[in-house]
Amino acid sequence: MAFPSTTVQMKKRIVALILAISVLGSSVIIGRLFQLQVVQAEDLQKRAARQQMRVTSLSAQRGTIYDRNGEILAMSGTVWTVYLSPVDIDSEEERLLIAKGLSEILDVSEEFVLEKSQRNTYYEIIKKKIERPLADEVTEFVTENGITCVGLEEDYKRYYPYGTLASTVLGFTGSENQGAYGIEAYYDSVLSGTNGQIVSAKNAWGTDMPFKYEKMYEAQNGNDLVLTIDVNIQRFVDKHLEQAVIEHEVQNKACAIVMDVKTGEILAMSTKPDFDPNSPNTIYDENVQAQLDAITDEDARQEALLEAQYEQWRNKAISDPYEPGSVFKIITASAVLEEKVVGLNNSFTCTGSYESGGVVYHCWKLAGHGTQNFAQTLQNSCNPAFISYGQALGKEKFREYFQAFGLTQTTGIDLPGEAGSIYHAEEDFGVTELSSSSFGQTFKVTALQLITAVSAAVNGGELMQPYIVKQVVDEEKNVVSETTPAVKRQVISNETSATMASLCESVVSEGSGRNAQLPGFRIGGKTGTSEKLGANDSDWKILSFVGFAPADDPQIAVLVMLDEPKLDDPYGSTIAAPIVKNMLADILPYLGMEPQLDVDEDTSVEVPYLTDVMLEEAQSQLIDLGLKARIVGDGDSVLKQVPQYGYEIPYGGTVILYTDETELEENVSVPNVLGKTGKQANAAILNAGLNIKIEGEFPDNVQTQVVSQSPLPDEKVQPGTVVTVTVQQVEDTADGASP
Amino acid sequence: MAQKQNAQGEKTRPSGRGNVDVTFLVLVLLLLTFGLIMLFSASYAYAYYHDNDSFYYIKKQMIFAVAGIVAMIVASNFDYRYWQKLALPVMGVAVVLLIVVLFMPEIANVNRWIPIGNLTTFQPSEIAKFAVVVMFAKMVTMYGEKMKTFRYGIAPFLIVLGVISGLMMLEPHLSGTILIATIGIVMMFVGGVDLKWFVLGVGVLAAGIVVVVMIPGVIQYAQARLEYWLDPFADPQGLGFQTIQSLLAIGSGGVMGLGLGNSRQKYLYIPEPQNDFVFSVVCEELGLVGASIIVILFALLVWRGYVIAIRAQDKFGTMLAVGLTTQVGLQALLNIAVVTNTIPNTGISLPFFSYGGTALMMLLAQMGVILSVSRRAALEKQ
Repeated sequence: MAFPSTTVQMKKRIVALILAISVLGSSVIIGRLFQLQVVQAEDLQKRAARQQMRVTSLSAQRGTIYDRNGEILAMSGTVWTVYLSPVDIDSEEERLLIAKGLSEILDVSEEFVLEKSQRNTYYEIIKKKIERPLADEVTEFVTENGITCVGLEEDYKRYYPYGTLASTVLGFTGSENQGAYGIEAYYDSVLSGTNGQIVSAKNAWGTDMPFKYEKMYEAQNGNDLVLTIDVNIQRFVDKHLEQAVIEHEVQNKACAIVMDVKTGEILAMSTKPDFDPNSPNTIYDENVQAQLDAITDEDARQEALLEAQYEQWRNKAISDPYEPGSVFKIITASAVLEEKVVGLNNSFTCTGSYESGGVVYHCWKLAGHGTQNFAQTLQNSCNPAFISYGQALGKEKFREYFQAFGLTQTTGIDLPGEAGSIYHAEEDFGVTELSSSSFGQTFKVTALQLITAVSAAVNGGELMQPYIVKQVVDEEKNVVSETTPAVKRQVISNETSATMASLCESVVSEGSGRNAQLPGFRIGGKTGTSEKLGANDSDWKILSFVGFAPADDPQIAVLVMLDEPKLDDPYGSTIAAPIVKNMLADILPYLGMEPQLDVDEDTSVEVPYLTDVMLEEAQSQLIDLGLKARIVGDGDSVLKQVPQYGYEIPYGGTVILYTDETELEENVSVPNVLGKTGKQANAAILNAGLNIKIEGEFPDNVQTQVVSQSPLPDEKVQPGTVVTVTVQQVEDTADGASP
Repeated sequence: MAQKQNAQGEKTRPSGRGNVDVTFLVLVLLLLTFGLIMLFSASYAYAYYHDNDSFYYIKKQMIFAVAGIVAMIVASNFDYRYWQKLALPVMGVAVVLLIVVLFMPEIANVNRWIPIGNLTTFQPSEIAKFAVVVMFAKMVTMYGEKMKTFRYGIAPFLIVLGVISGLMMLEPHLSGTILIATIGIVMMFVGGVDLKWFVLGVGVLAAGIVVVVMIPGVIQYAQARLEYWLDPFADPQGLGFQTIQSLLAIGSGGVMGLGLGNSRQKYLYIPEPQNDFVFSVVCEELGLVGASIIVILFALLVWRGYVIAIRAQDKFGTMLAVGLTTQVGLQALLNIAVVTNTIPNTGISLPFFSYGGTALMMLLAQMGVILSVSRRAALEKQ
């Protein structure tokens, strides 16, 4: 075989190849790598990260809502979401097992789970927001059967421990824990906090990469809210309002507000009927639900359901303006007194009708009230008198005060859905409009606007900014922000305001507000009966009452408004006033105001026969008499009472109602009241949980002294026992200054 | 050293054994080491998820690497001149195997592999490549000055290429065919074919392309391939998927890389990262710096292979070294060009890096042949 030599041409051509492949080829490749790894690197890295990163959200815990005493009104609890990763299902047997197991535990249909399990995904939600017992069952099922494609994810659920209490105020949250209504919606950003994230690497199959590549951004939990609402006051208000709605067959809901007149804090705000925020979508009115069920068209039914839901969530106290009627006379009276266009000594004669601007207005008392002084016109709620006051005030001044009392603007309370008032435009405001407006007709304000205005009339003349959130508190209980009472403006003088308070007290003590009298307390107030503007059927009215106490130094105001109650008597005085009285009877003692019983008056009442009477009936009898009830035991009716039927005890005394065999073990030792004044003795005995019966003759304004008591001091007796004391007039002492 | 002239006026060469070219050997071993490490890294996740054994691919590759080194040693000690005599038998075996493979069970719709028991498979095209190189080297040596003529320099070469290409297109195996044809043409170029034929060849090729494009349907197909090559992100889930995943890996590497073993794209994003796209994992983990070093190692290997060809004792040795070096160089160049989307996607593996036991063994044996060529050149220098 021959072995010819390599030619020069060959060598030259090989050198060309070296240049082509080694030099040129590698240069092109490195240039291309430079382009990809340096020039386009950022863009390509972002794209890569987008497909490689898994972002898992960490739910921030929503803040808690407390009442002013620290009672929890709304809180978030941990719940779980059950999910299935269909692509990880190993076998058909496992699919069936999962479908069967989950459908049994979670109360979903097997078909539903099977359908989800056929999908080509990593994440299908089977059920959201399940609570611990169910979550434990799922965990057990999964562990026992060695299932890896079913998982649980933590989430939060909102709980409202008090159920319907203040539900229209609190609102509720939606399925994604977002505030949907009420305070939950208004303060959503404060409550919700910031969700965190876990960013981790995933492979193309969607599962985690085996190496550690994870970055966590902690969730920032939401802040807590402390409300001005007092759970106990809210409960009293809810109870009485709910009773009233049932008793008077109120057609169009009722609302009530309790306000601290000095600060503008809302102590209670209630709309009845309402809903349970734990399940806000359920329709609670059976009639409405029945109407919905009757609708056959699915779309129409859905629409009607939505409408019914909005209706049931509505906070009537801020969202529904109404004609305030005679309650508004407080505002008219304040304005005329402040402007001194009418004096307290002014005398007005009501003939039963009054002509103004060509229109004849009838007084509600067709026979007329006759000649009255200023106080009496308010006590009698005399429309002709107030029309004349309005005319005396004049259009401009009237509008000025209407605006100054905050009735032209929303109050700006920290709640969503506040409606504004509806009133005559300036150019339309003639004599007729002035006349009807003077007694609270032909315009509409919200209950909140009205109680804020009335508070200003009696609190010294300051229009306060109403508010419902006292404090925002962070996770470590540090106060983040605090609402302080804010005076919007001085509307009337201190003196006029004091006059208004005592005039309103006289309405209750002597006038149309008599039904709001509460023995031992000084209550001021005003009734209102209003025609509904534009309503076809004039039989339907709005009855309202605004009361405040104590009249000599107003602390709280209560407004109750019933929209279309069934009327036996066409006036608010007989319906709305007692509701306010009942509320005050609970609220005032709760606030630590003891009944100021003047023992110099004969204010004793006879204890009624209550044995075998149903408990609620017994309680309401005692309240009507001005007595307190203390219930012992868990029964439904009264087995035994102390004091016995027939005893005479003063207003404010306590009757112990035994409802079962439980006996009060505590024996009270009788305080020593010998030598004390009648008032001191009264206070000491009431404080000990006993009742007092005062004997002896004594004229008014005379200093008295206890000369004997029975049972004797330190004797052990049952609570409620009547202690009889005998008082005598004291001789003038050396340093006595009394005449 | 004295040189004798024989009857034909050709020099007689000293026989015996010289030393192998150490530079070339070191480059081969460096690339093999890099290749094995990167194959392990790239295949780790894929093997973990698909075969439940992260070491699945590297274990097999290591065995073949050891066998390949043995083959390399044997080949380097085997006088390359015997291949001239073995050229026809080798070609015969290649043709037989290329026919046999057509009757083998299809894998992924093509007949490219012949199973060896249950152990592994091998591609007859690997043998065919070597057969063409040996055959062309023999032919160039035989025809000498007649290479300039069409009759000797072109026709017989085209016949051999035609037979081999025809059989490979029946598998079908387009990328392998292109590779073999290119190696053949390079060898013809070095072998002394008149350059006018290359000019003519380019013309014929262009005309051929025009004719092919006229075939209905081809233009759409070509257009689609072209479009996703130019903008793979237009069809991220379809044709562009593999290319996109490769580019994302390369880009993620940046200048310094994510570090050895830290590729994220190998976690099931890059389809079969142990095969053709192993280089994208190299780029992601080692960055521009590491990838460039490997490109330069390949360039140096090619340079050194051609240097051995230039220094070879005889024409046959030159042609053998040119053919085998060209094979490695072209394969590396085309593979990396595909991985970086510099050219449209074909199916060429990266020598020393891509998984494939018999291919690695063949490659190392061929490196042994080049070393054998270098030995005789070294002998002559002495």
